[in-house]
Amino acid sequence: MTPKKEKLTGIYISTFIMTVLGVVIGIYGPSRLMPRSMSDNMHLSILTIVVFTVAAAPVAAGVYAVSLHALRHWTHRGDDVPAPAADQTREHPVLVTSWVLASTLLTVFLLVWGLGALSVDNGGVGRNPLVVDVTGQQWLWTFSYPGSNVQSPTLVLPEGRTVEFHITALDVTHGFWIANMGVQIDANVGTTTEIHTTPNALGTFDIRCTQFCGLNHAYMVTTGTVVTKDKFAQWLASQSTKA
Amino acid sequence: MERSKAIASALVSVLLGGGALALAGFALASAAPHQQPQVCQPTSPGNCSLTISSFPDSLAGEHGKDGGAHPDWVSYSNFNLVAKANTTVTMTINQYDSGGTLNNKAFFGRVWGTNGGTAQYMIPTASGADTPVQTLAKVDPTNIGHTFTLRGIPGNSAPLFVSVPLPASPATNSVTVGDSTYGSPVKVTFSFKVGGPGVYEWNCEFPCGGSREGQFGYAMSSFGYMSGTLTVK
Amino acid sequence: MTTTLEHTAAVATEGGGLARKQNFLTAMVGGVVFAWLAWYLAHHFLDASSRNYSDLVTTALTFGWIFGFWLGIGALNGPGRWLIGADHTRADDLYYAGENQGRKRYWKYCTDHKVVGVQYIVMTAVLLGAGGILAMAIRTELIVPGNHFVNQQVYNGFVAVHGMLMILALIVAVAGPWANFVVPIMCGARDMAFPRLNALSLWTLVGAAGLLLSVLAVGSLTMGWVVLAPIADQAGIGMDFFAMAIIVFTVSTTVAGINTICTVMTMRTKGMSLARLPIFVWASMIAAALGLYAFPYFSLVEAQTLMDRTVSTSFFVADGGGTGWLQANLFWLMGHPEVYVILLPAVGALFEIASVMARKPVFSFRTAIAGMTGLAGLSILVWAHHMFTTGWAPTLGGPFMLTTELISIPTGLFFLVIIGTIWRGNIWMKLPTVWLFGFIFNFIIAGITGIYLSDIPIDNQFHGTVFVTAHFHYVFVGSVLFGAIAALAFWYPKVTGRFLDETMGRISFWLVFLGVQVTFLAMFVSGFKGMPRRYSSYSMLFEHANFVTTIGAYMIMSGMLVLLGAVVRSWNHGEPSGPNPWHANSLEWMVPTPPPLENFDVLPVITEDPYNYREELVRS
Repeated sequence: MTPKKEKLTGIYISTFIMTVLGVVIGIYGPSRLMPRSMSDNMHLSILTIVVFTVAAAPVAAGVYAVSLHALRHWTHRGDDVPAPAADQTREHPVLVTSWVLASTLLTVFLLVWGLGALSVDNGGVGRNPLVVDVTGQQWLWTFSYPGSNVQSPTLVLPEGRTVEFHITALDVTHGFWIANMGVQIDANVGTTTEIHTTPNALGTFDIRCTQFCGLNHAYMVTTGTVVTKDKFAQWLASQSTKA
Repeated sequence: MERSKAIASALVSVLLGGGALALAGFALASAAPHQQPQVCQPTSPGNCSLTISSFPDSLAGEHGKDGGAHPDWVSYSNFNLVAKANTTVTMTINQYDSGGTLNNKAFFGRVWGTNGGTAQYMIPTASGADTPVQTLAKVDPTNIGHTFTLRGIPGNSAPLFVSVPLPASPATNSVTVGDSTYGSPVKVTFSFKVGGPGVYEWNCEFPCGGSREGQFGYAMSSFGYMSGTLTVK
Repeated sequence: MTTTLEHTAAVATEGGGLARKQNFLTAMVGGVVFAWLAWYLAHHFLDASSRNYSDLVTTALTFGWIFGFWLGIGALNGPGRWLIGADHTRADDLYYAGENQGRKRYWKYCTDHKVVGVQYIVMTAVLLGAGGILAMAIRTELIVPGNHFVNQQVYNGFVAVHGMLMILALIVAVAGPWANFVVPIMCGARDMAFPRLNALSLWTLVGAAGLLLSVLAVGSLTMGWVVLAPIADQAGIGMDFFAMAIIVFTVSTTVAGINTICTVMTMRTKGMSLARLPIFVWASMIAAALGLYAFPYFSLVEAQTLMDRTVSTSFFVADGGGTGWLQANLFWLMGHPEVYVILLPAVGALFEIASVMARKPVFSFRTAIAGMTGLAGLSILVWAHHMFTTGWAPTLGGPFMLTTELISIPTGLFFLVIIGTIWRGNIWMKLPTVWLFGFIFNFIIAGITGIYLSDIPIDNQFHGTVFVTAHFHYVFVGSVLFGAIAALAFWYPKVTGRFLDETMGRISFWLVFLGVQVTFLAMFVSGFKGMPRRYSSYSMLFEHANFVTTIGAYMIMSGMLVLLGAVVRSWNHGEPSGPNPWHANSLEWMVPTPPPLENFDVLPVITEDPYNYREELVRS
């Protein structure tokens, strides 16, 4: 039988070590693995992932630490049938209450953070967003810039200007996802959905379809580019003359 | 059960089960339809030429003379195209099918990504006689048979976008192709340069296949009819 | 000349008659014959040029199949006899309960809940096996980029059918075998409340499985198992088989759910108050109630899809005024509660195992109940978190985030109960315990990654990627499957009188446990990097992570094969266990092994719950 009050410092130490591990993974992991951030939305999403990981680390660590301690100290040794445990506790009101309270507080924190991030993401488009019409059809995206009467098979965006996407589909539901900018919404038949973001870095990005759309769903991937405002104006002009 | 018998049983389970699965997998892989690659034929250094056709059914081309499982489905003659890296491909498509209106008229009625931004069109008369070749950057989007739309896939191939609308053929004469007869085809020729090695995907962007919405069912959504790959080596 | 009544009475007592020869084979024959008949009639009377023709004919065929299957297995015998005034006699009832029929009764329409339980074990294995084969095909294709093994159409079909088979397998994995075999005995009852419905629920599942497996043969589905509109419209006749399989399956699960609840509510023995019931019974009942709420949505949405395809309604067709969003909502109204229908029996079994193996009571029985009830209740309010990125209702994003985050509270209570139970226990490290610890490790990861997805800004990045796939595989494979295997190892001695071999079980555990980490942690990496799900081929960016994932999948496969070998070998060669190998207190361990027909000679009278562990028990 296990002694009634053996030391539990082992649990505290393991919890601490695993929490630190979790925090380190949380801070360094996501940003290294995820696509290069090219918008504020993306930055906020990555930050949220870091915060959630750091918040979750002690919970996971605590559960794992207790389990490890149980495996080391509370397992019955020997081939005989184990006797009933010395501790036959059925209830512990203080523990249950504290647990519910703590998990509620943690949940509320995550919720408040999430709602805050959501409201930042949904924040205003400003007075003069660049409007881009996106059409998804099996199995590619086509873009048009209604303000300038330009069409393009790839998405070119100016840095620093909010772009508002009006998205629709012609055949089935597709998922419009700019992997580097943290924005995603479905393209639906018969209706138009909207998202907006502000690119804040130059370079190429990937647009991937995330809603299964048939045979070549895996090939519904396109690149886009963020260029300076001047280059963008030049590009727009050159596309106009071609049309 | 003793320990050694248990371990032996475990091994046997894995080997037997794994073996059965491997056999099943092998059978499945062999049963899958295999494509004959259509290789772009070299014409001069850095250039090659590729000719394919689009048909109103599956009786010609790779599905065999009985048309495979769906003889009435529209098809391209070849769907596995191969070319060498960094060459200029000159493609000729013989378009035998009739047609209608594109669903994304503004976009796919235009020629995209070819050398010069145009393609050469020879549309026969109703009796099948040749007419002069026209160099066009866009065609009437209400009378299209198919499109040839080729794309690079990020992560699998270099950026590339070529799309050429293929007008419907008005010919009602009879031309023999393999074991089938059709009206004379529209001939479309265009060139584009492929980059480094990778797999590019192409498909027709004129949906005409069953289903109530979008018409992208049947031939449009099945492997080996209205879509394929261009493998650049 | 005998009257009809005398004639049938004579047949019943004499024990002859064709009805008694019915079994799985006659069911298959009946199904095929009536399927062909329905097909022929539909083909004869319908206009072949109509666009809906092939769907109508196929749907008729599936109705024929299930009717013929029921007829062939003898499901209609009981009601049929009642209708004509020739009720089953006691002798008939005992016959249908499998008395004196030995092994043959496992192939027949047997009303003995213990036989049904074993039949469910077999069905779970068949469904898991078929789904597993498809999983290996999927992972083999994804070992390197490009389509080398199969083309994308075949691959896409595998993905859909793998999903549906596995979902079905897991819905029945714990509830099927153990809510049937063990729960009535735990209540102190002789059988379920409705024994004939019990057999019906199992054989209807077999009929549904037949339809689902046929999907692969008729051109498959080329969309995910969720078969969203409008793309479902593009599927061939495989979609009709699929939809009917679901509708038929809903009959099975509804019947089983009603049976479980009625049994627990009305057939507990004297003294067995609700508070004295083992926690597993509570879990089974709550899961059954939740299933009764949720599965009809599934049936409804598939019926609507079928109607769109056969009679040109426009529930989900935008051209006709419908919308795919309706389909998505109805589907997820089922889809989210359904994952808790899958989870709760596994968690209930693990509570039971934790208590018995730690030799102490379930910690805070009432917290366990509050957790399960809270989870079930909240689960009906969270469905649209699957639709955050559809654009359907942006203003509802906040409320659904709220309800989804709140669900983490009752889920956390499960950890409290399990940790509290093993705390300072005298833990017996046998197979069930080993899988319990594996569950604890995996379920933390599953739960936490779910919380990420519940947050909209994060979901905007991860929706539709393999991050989601890895999350729910940690739930289904890492947690539910581990619970199901723990339950199997725990109750196997009650079914067979032998222990599931400990060594083979441990080998299986390590292969599966390590395999799960390798497979799905690598899949999380692919998800972080941005690989979308249901992709038949992928960018070079994801090749290393996918390679590792496939290696892990082969590890899981090996482990599951070893488990299968263990189950098969231990059936006849395992170490004999006796009637109460775990020295536990609940009623199933108090009856002989195997339990006799009707379980108890004399129904017990209960004076306490099963969680009082006393020294005498150890010696008994």
